[in-house]
Amino acid sequence: MRGALHEARSAMASPNRNARSAVVLGRLLGIAFLVCFGTGLYSHFLQDPLPWMRFPTRPTQLYQFTQGLHITAGIAIIPLLLAKLNTVMPALAQDPPVRGVLHLLERVSIAVFVSAAIVQVGTGLVNTYQWYPWPFPFRQVHYALSYVLIGSLAIHIAAKLRVIARYWRARDAYDADGRFVYDGRVGSELPEYAAEARLASATYPRGITGRVMRWADGATAGAPGAPGAESRLGGQDAPSDARGVSAQPSLADGTEPSRASRPDRQPRAARRERVARRGFFAGIAAATAGVVVLTVGQSSKAGEPFNVFAPRQRHRGPNDLPVNRTARAAGVLATATAADWTLTVVGPAVTRTFSRAELVALGMTVVDLPISCVEGWSQMGTWKGVRMRDLLEAVQADPASEVRVTSLERHGGYRIMDMGAEYASDPTTLVALELNGGTLDLDHGFPARIIAPGRPGVLQTKWIERIEVRS
Amino acid sequence: MRAARIVLAVLGVLVLAFGAYTMVETVRPNRIGGLATWLIAAVVLHDAILSPFVVLVGLGLRRAGRALRTWVLVVVQAAVVLGSVLALVVLPEIAAKAHGAKNPTVVPFDYTTRLLLVEGALLVVVVAVLVIGWVTARRRPDRPLVEPTTSS
Repeated sequence: MRGALHEARSAMASPNRNARSAVVLGRLLGIAFLVCFGTGLYSHFLQDPLPWMRFPTRPTQLYQFTQGLHITAGIAIIPLLLAKLNTVMPALAQDPPVRGVLHLLERVSIAVFVSAAIVQVGTGLVNTYQWYPWPFPFRQVHYALSYVLIGSLAIHIAAKLRVIARYWRARDAYDADGRFVYDGRVGSELPEYAAEARLASATYPRGITGRVMRWADGATAGAPGAPGAESRLGGQDAPSDARGVSAQPSLADGTEPSRASRPDRQPRAARRERVARRGFFAGIAAATAGVVVLTVGQSSKAGEPFNVFAPRQRHRGPNDLPVNRTARAAGVLATATAADWTLTVVGPAVTRTFSRAELVALGMTVVDLPISCVEGWSQMGTWKGVRMRDLLEAVQADPASEVRVTSLERHGGYRIMDMGAEYASDPTTLVALELNGGTLDLDHGFPARIIAPGRPGVLQTKWIERIEVRS
Repeated sequence: MRAARIVLAVLGVLVLAFGAYTMVETVRPNRIGGLATWLIAAVVLHDAILSPFVVLVGLGLRRAGRALRTWVLVVVQAAVVLGSVLALVVLPEIAAKAHGAKNPTVVPFDYTTRLLLVEGALLVVVVAVLVIGWVTARRRPDRPLVEPTTSS
């Protein structure tokens, strides 16, 4: 068992897998997680507000920004998370696996952290494709899991704070040659990497792993000491056991990193390590920039020309706008197209019904407001319709009232939508009848829908039939 | 440092506990079983399948990297990483499309063709860089090749 751990550990040792790389990636990942958490909570409470909550209606593109950021940061997390897990991989095979109760708890918390992060990001991504191949409800789990993730992130930072502080700055992490300074005192679980020692065949493990690594380093070909031959003859003896152990972090040595015994090897080894590190980070940068640039066009104008892989394309759909839920899916094909459709507005004293023509007669206003979906895509639209405040005045209600809007939809979590007074009284909040210069398409909510500033698309209720003043 | 660590750890445990509480409050017990399976599968998938694979690819690149110039190696490695991450992101999208989109504006593109084109372009870049690296190395044989490096 211990032998297997040591073999795995030395196979995973690499100049990239050091505490400094873990800190650099951890910082980026931590920021991305917090951005996702903050924007996610904002989106959550917009949809499920606590009683005392009020929200800003300006800038009108606020939600478009926060939710676009939520999805984009979430996509950027994918390569960053993979890189971070790759960097700390040798810690998986630490020996002994558990050093005590506290260490066990820490490892358990990391398991929770890693699994929550993978599931959160993976299901979040696939949710943007509107595909739900898992046996649990997405929205509730995504919300609850975000606290689990951020909680275990805080625990992880607490556990690693000494390592983080030690390697926070590059100048403390690398020596004049650019080689990583291994410091066993701060409790990093990543092994020291000793390439030059390895070339001198000092640290190759026995067996298959050692052979594969010698092959990878080309050690049999040119390295002094002809380790290939040596391993066959003397590989099984006691000294080779000692070699395996010497790859472990040497706590006894304290700060002084064990360096190559041959001074002439040092610059070359340092250069090799720098190249490996830069190549590693170049790969992460390319992957992060790549996934972001090729998908961000669904929520950003600047990214539109590079929209190769996003699940949505701006301007594709009826009225030049994508559709989330169709009239057919909502079960409103007949009711929404009925000739006798009316909108009922219920005030505290007066109730009135309006046909489409009567709504038009109230006076139409044109506003530019974005549709911003929780799944990340968003697009500006030009809407024409009756101001909500005008409708409320028509039933002698205070424009600054809370209202409840009901859709013709038969079922679905968003059939009934509550709107705070800050939205109802806003001059840009409309009962929209037209979109982008044409009559509202049936799939966009014909005969009438809500459009309000700074709210998620699911709250821009389509196919409305009733508006009720609640306060 | 010690105080900060304790505060962070306590805060973390509280937030985590709130998440667990929210979970059992809002998700039915039988669904939580499904979630637990997914959480465990995520770690197993990463640690037992993806990680060993990445280690092997890394060793392969390390071997190949011995004969390559620095910039060639860096470009090849970046292309491999980018290509892998794009595949990881787009393959579920292809599956989602195959599963059936709810309307024509959801996953509207032909993602299979697009992924193949992008991966093909990355392959062309890799081959071009390898050829250029090989040709320039032949022209200037006095310049040393890159030393063995570790990658990924």
